[in-house]
Amino acid sequence: MLQLRNLTKTFFPNTPNEVRALQGVTLDIEEGSFVIVIGTNGSGKSTLLNAAAGTFPLDAGTITLAGRDVTKWPEHRRAAMIGRVFQNPFSGTAPNMTVAENLALAARRGQPRGLGSLLPAKLHSELRDRVATLNMQLETRMNNPIGTLSGGQRQALTLLMATWRRPDLLLLDEHTAALDPKSADQIVRLTQRIVSQHHLTTLMVTHSMQQAATLGTRIVMMNQGRVMADIAGPDRRRIRAEDLVHRFEEIRRDEQLDVSAAEMLREMYV
Amino acid sequence: MTLLISAWTIGLILSLLALGVYISYRVFAFPDITADGSITFGAAVAAAMLTRGMNPFAASGAAFLAGTLAGACTGVLHTRFRINQLLSGILVMTALYSINLHVMGQSNLPLLSARTLTTYAERIGRRLSGGDTAVLLGWPVSARELGSLLLIAAVVLLVAIAAYLFFRTNLGSAMRASGDNAQMIRALGVSVENMIILGLAISNGLIAFAGALLAQYQGFADVQMGIGMVVWGLASVIIGRALVGSDSLGSALTGTIMGSVLFRLIIAVALRWGLNPNDLKLVTAIFVFGALVLPMALGVRTSRPRPSGRPRPDGLIAR
Repeated sequence: MLQLRNLTKTFFPNTPNEVRALQGVTLDIEEGSFVIVIGTNGSGKSTLLNAAAGTFPLDAGTITLAGRDVTKWPEHRRAAMIGRVFQNPFSGTAPNMTVAENLALAARRGQPRGLGSLLPAKLHSELRDRVATLNMQLETRMNNPIGTLSGGQRQALTLLMATWRRPDLLLLDEHTAALDPKSADQIVRLTQRIVSQHHLTTLMVTHSMQQAATLGTRIVMMNQGRVMADIAGPDRRRIRAEDLVHRFEEIRRDEQLDVSAAEMLREMYV
Repeated sequence: MTLLISAWTIGLILSLLALGVYISYRVFAFPDITADGSITFGAAVAAAMLTRGMNPFAASGAAFLAGTLAGACTGVLHTRFRINQLLSGILVMTALYSINLHVMGQSNLPLLSARTLTTYAERIGRRLSGGDTAVLLGWPVSARELGSLLLIAAVVLLVAIAAYLFFRTNLGSAMRASGDNAQMIRALGVSVENMIILGLAISNGLIAFAGALLAQYQGFADVQMGIGMVVWGLASVIIGRALVGSDSLGSALTGTIMGSVLFRLIIAVALRWGLNPNDLKLVTAIFVFGALVLPMALGVRTSRPRPSGRPRPDGLIAR
């Protein structure tokens, strides 16, 4: 479904702030797989998602989605095939527009927008019925500005919006990180339900080892812009949250060793 | 009375300018100075066509199209060449000054002998009053003034309804969303850049249309007539916001029109009381400054509480 080949991206090249965010990442993601991406801060996992979404031009590499080379496509064009939920609950909705308007905008994701009515009565009732399935009592607030809702509520609606038209690829960028534990739990369950219901090919970034161990069919571990581990199949089924934490500690120890080795060399030779 | 009628008429004409400023400033949070040039552009195009004996409706329509072109230019400068919003507007406005002089051929173009929309308005007024003067609430009013007011009121009503309907279509809603949350609407497959270009085109089209009507009402087009018009539009939008106290689409559009008329009436009364016309722009600028700064200085919210979400910039003041 999604093929990432040798993705390379350096931000602020040739400056003191240079960040080598992606250093040749290659991944093949099969139709219907639910891939969890984990990694330390700055490991490039969010950059990987943004590269798939087309937020920035790549330095090198190609992206193929559903058989089409989308490498050169701008973000809004790729949006026809991709549904997205952001880390910040405020990013996914237009705060001054109503709940119904936001959903109706999403119902036309990637389609031409002309002078037809945004909210015909039929669509409005359809939207309300789907919102009712969230069990958050939001169906009574369809005409309220979405900015008056809580972060958890907005994130649930964003998830609904991203998947209203079935996307070829669903991108979830730490979409529970900014929520309180109870709301986060609710969103995780909703994510699980929607993804399995529609058999969505999903790429989800998370900081939570618990989520990584319980959700999904495959775990990709990133560090310093590279894929460090790719765990699928029987290995994936055996893995527990502690194992993942342990792996991270190993990486950190290796890095510290590098740092102390460099320190030692500097003391000896400089 | 004539003074009041005239203030109403000009207020309504400039409410089209205010609607244009509403689109750029409120919908997109884009402080678009092109308006100063495009209102004159509209007046110049209409005047040049009218003095050549062309149909007033065609001339007014051409003014609208000329304005859309100017707005689209500003939009392209900003989105494709990544020039700062204010600077894009300034560049197009400055270029328009020369273009306007070329279009008019001189710095002031009188329309006294040309057939304009005012000619039609006068005919309507005569038919209604049965003579040169009508009596309105016990005051004599010329048929020309009465007809102009009615014609303009009808035009503004139509434009407001069209704007209301447009912003509830798929395209219009995508435009509102582009101003509200660009990241979100991009992720839903809309090119925010194209929306800005289209939005500024419509905005400046309306503003140029207002210029065409103003030139026909006052009987001349002048290359200087656009100076300070953005600030005028801002004042109208801000007063309108205070009058209706709501951000919903219908009340925002109504408020903007009411704000423009009210502001014109205030100015007319102030001039009557002896305000030096030379101080007009100064007073307008100070008024807008006060409206932008006072709420912040007093620590009062200017809009309804937003418990969450990105607050819409209420002023041009960077935070």
